[in-house]
Amino acid sequence: MNKLANELQQAALRRETRRHFLQTCSTGLGAMALGSFMGGCNPFGSTDKTAGAAQAGAEAVAASMDPRLSQFAPKAKRVIYIHMAGSPSQLELFDYKPELQKYNGKDCPQELLTGKKFAFIRGVPKMLGSTANFRQHGQSGAWISDYMPHLQTVADELTFIKSMHTDQFNHAPAQLLMHTGSARLGRPSIGSWVTYGLGSENDNLPGFIVLASGGKQPDAGKSVWGSGFLPTVYQGVQCRTDGDPVLYVSDPNGMSRDIRRQTIEAINQINEAEYQEAKDPEILTRISQYEMAFKMQASVPDAMAISGEPQYILDAYGVDPNKGSFARNCLLARRLAERGVRFIQLFDWGWDTHGTSKDTSVDIGLQEKCRQSDQAVAALINDLKQRGMLDDTLVVWGGEFGRTPMQENRDGQTQAFHGRDHHLDAFTVFMAGGGMKRGLTYGETDPIGYYAVKDKVHIHDLQATILHQMGFDHTKLTYHFQGRPFRLTDVAGKVVKGILA
Amino acid sequence: MLLLLQAQPSDWALFFGRFHPLIVHLPIGFLLIAGILEIGRRLGKLQLSNGTMSAILFWSAVSATISCLFGYLLSLGGGYDADILEEHKWQGIGVAVFAWIAWGASSNFLLKRAPLSSVLYVPALALSVGALMVAGHHGGALTHGSDYLTQYTPEPFRSMAGLPPRAVGATFTAKPITDVNQAMVYEQIVNPILQTRCVQCHNAEKSKGDLRMDTPEKLTKGGEGGPIFVAGKSTESEMIKRCLLDESDEHHMPPKGKTPLTDEQITLLTWWIDQGAPFNKKVADLAVTDRVKPALAALGNGKAVANAEAAGKAVPASGPAPLSPVLTMNVPAADPKVIDELKRTGLLVLPLSKENNQLEVSAVNVRTFSDAQATLLVKLSDQIVWLKLGDTQITDAAINSIVKLKNLQKLHLERTQITDAGLKKLTGLTYLEYLNLYGTAITDAGLASLSDLKALRNVYVWQTKVTESGIAALKKVLPNVEIVGGTSENSMAMRTGR
Repeated sequence: MNKLANELQQAALRRETRRHFLQTCSTGLGAMALGSFMGGCNPFGSTDKTAGAAQAGAEAVAASMDPRLSQFAPKAKRVIYIHMAGSPSQLELFDYKPELQKYNGKDCPQELLTGKKFAFIRGVPKMLGSTANFRQHGQSGAWISDYMPHLQTVADELTFIKSMHTDQFNHAPAQLLMHTGSARLGRPSIGSWVTYGLGSENDNLPGFIVLASGGKQPDAGKSVWGSGFLPTVYQGVQCRTDGDPVLYVSDPNGMSRDIRRQTIEAINQINEAEYQEAKDPEILTRISQYEMAFKMQASVPDAMAISGEPQYILDAYGVDPNKGSFARNCLLARRLAERGVRFIQLFDWGWDTHGTSKDTSVDIGLQEKCRQSDQAVAALINDLKQRGMLDDTLVVWGGEFGRTPMQENRDGQTQAFHGRDHHLDAFTVFMAGGGMKRGLTYGETDPIGYYAVKDKVHIHDLQATILHQMGFDHTKLTYHFQGRPFRLTDVAGKVVKGILA
Repeated sequence: MLLLLQAQPSDWALFFGRFHPLIVHLPIGFLLIAGILEIGRRLGKLQLSNGTMSAILFWSAVSATISCLFGYLLSLGGGYDADILEEHKWQGIGVAVFAWIAWGASSNFLLKRAPLSSVLYVPALALSVGALMVAGHHGGALTHGSDYLTQYTPEPFRSMAGLPPRAVGATFTAKPITDVNQAMVYEQIVNPILQTRCVQCHNAEKSKGDLRMDTPEKLTKGGEGGPIFVAGKSTESEMIKRCLLDESDEHHMPPKGKTPLTDEQITLLTWWIDQGAPFNKKVADLAVTDRVKPALAALGNGKAVANAEAAGKAVPASGPAPLSPVLTMNVPAADPKVIDELKRTGLLVLPLSKENNQLEVSAVNVRTFSDAQATLLVKLSDQIVWLKLGDTQITDAAINSIVKLKNLQKLHLERTQITDAGLKKLTGLTYLEYLNLYGTAITDAGLASLSDLKALRNVYVWQTKVTESGIAALKKVLPNVEIVGGTSENSMAMRTGR
């Protein structure tokens, strides 16, 4: 392999010309510009000594995943963010509204429709009472419907925010807003911000891992775990939940670990030579990704090997070890959390209950989704707790928006199944662990669940709160890009202090 | 003026009203300059035409009139002392009226038609300037309180002016607290906070939002939005909620620019309300929760706070709990050489945050960590507060090193070879709150030996030989500790229907 590197060096020398001298001059200027660009590359402003780290070359990027410091002592060391893509109906699950039942089947009053836009509702829809039965659970008396019998058993561990609201009523922009703080493409996701701020605890695993289930990727695509303008080393690494977690992670026959090591070293030497010439920081990312991939060949199969789990744990989560599923992802999330992964993002598709078919109805379809996920979420919370991990692991569960208290009437037609349209003025998110006040219900919606009215929490507020638990002032975790500092919460966001333990 | 006819002040009225303190400085400037110039002219020092004086007076009168209007709009918002306000109003109107008269008397227009009117000129100007002084003073008294101007009058002028001697630091003094347990909760703890942070705007003279917080009766009565606290329920108490809002929120109290309450002060007020907001109880009469203990202890010069009978009851509170003292205390920075030495064993060694010297040490990357390596930890005995040695090779021998880490707050020993013999040695860790022992061979006997660790809050004993009775026994000694036994294999199988 060294031979290959030598050959490259020879070729490079042969290429050196007068023209090349001029070219190098200009990249020299470029490098200066890069120095200032990388100056923005640290979460604590340019006063930090790591500024201008570009010159340190490949080591800088290797170091970019080194564990780093919060701004203040954190309550949560890691986050498991469970995103129910498509958005579950809060009115079927947590937001108990007996008043809405009285209006079931009646026309929606005009004042709730004037000036409003819906994704599919046209004209005057009918109100739709909850299709679920509600009861209060635990000492905290949290309302959880019978769609989620397992979650009911951990009610006292949960912190509900019933007054969430957002700005976007279509899936992709709403998911982007939820995860990147902006409804448009191009911003880093919350997991990237966290790994950019904190690095990774585990030397051999990425700091930000994504697992998807439900048969479809989230509508906003991979941007919801992208790194935006942050160096790409901070983007989420998606692992498959079925078969090999990362494709071709195992070496083929005849390829020994040593040969693999040498191959990667040679490739990295070439890349480093190229970096010296072009000074493109993305080359550094490339180098570190090769390194990480090599380490992951050993660490990922270990982390993902649920065959080592005892049967009663598999049963508790409801995992079929031979099949990829949301339940399996929950179990994997715990295993990754145990290994020091900072941000574990679970996406589960199929919660978009419009009522256009049986599978998307808020009674039959939604119950089926709950049946597939309820046990695993409750098991995850129990399992984290008994392992003493709920103390510093923040679990977040929610969709990208809520659902209307009205029956959807797509294209003005009456639908055969009960369904609800996208709704941005009220929805419910719950959290557990990570320094949240246990058994608390925060915020309220009006009697029919149309608007959040008390202690409203915007998406940016939720993001600010998550970062706060990780030890960051969301206004100070910034990155300089295109002439100004950017942050996850843009220019908004308030930490929801009332839910902190 | 349509705006004036409305019963409730509209946003427009208040919007313009708030410009009163700004616009009011125009007539002050104009009229004073008119007075000074007029004196200069009379003394023959200045050459000024009647036209110039007339112009200055015209604008004085116009701005004074606008000030009056805006002032009226501002007063619709309420919250001012009615007597001073009434005086201020008429003095202000006086300024405007006399300014108009002075202008009229100085303008050629009037002089031509009523020659005698020139007689009015000097008295009108003098009265206008005079009224301006008095109105200005009362305006200041309305905004800042009547004793604002003279509050810091030094001696001997103070006694000469007949002012009462000034209290040190503030006009309010509470009886100093000697023993926290005997302190009167409202009089010596709650009221001093209100007096220094709230009463400036919520008093007899200036009661913003129709709220006064200077006496128990007024405090209980509340403001225009009703009562500001619900005894026993801090989470539903407006007074606490306002303090917990983000500082940039328009409803945050104290408002932007004023000193906010400290976390300790909020904790104390929250506790007082949760305890039923009594006005004549001592600290010792109430249940002292863990949350409020540090704040109370700080009041009493560090004297320990005794728990009342009712202690230990879970009391919901609205704010985040204060940090463990071990996280806020000052510890010297660790020697970088020692940190490097530890890092070479594969340990993660990180300060808790940029602002802490306290260290977190984790063996998450080094499952082979052993007793021999654990002896290195002792060199950082001041700094290590979080120690994660779960899933490593350590045995009871490592405890000898661990007990020397006197500032430990969280300790992970799960899935190691630790036994009861090791736990018996685990004493003297006064700050230890979190102890993870799951997946070890410990039994009830080992658990019982933890009873000296008074700060303990969370103990994890899943997959150990600890029994329900062992858990109950420790809970009897340490009632505040939560011991998580987890689910046994059997009960889990039952729950999932297997």
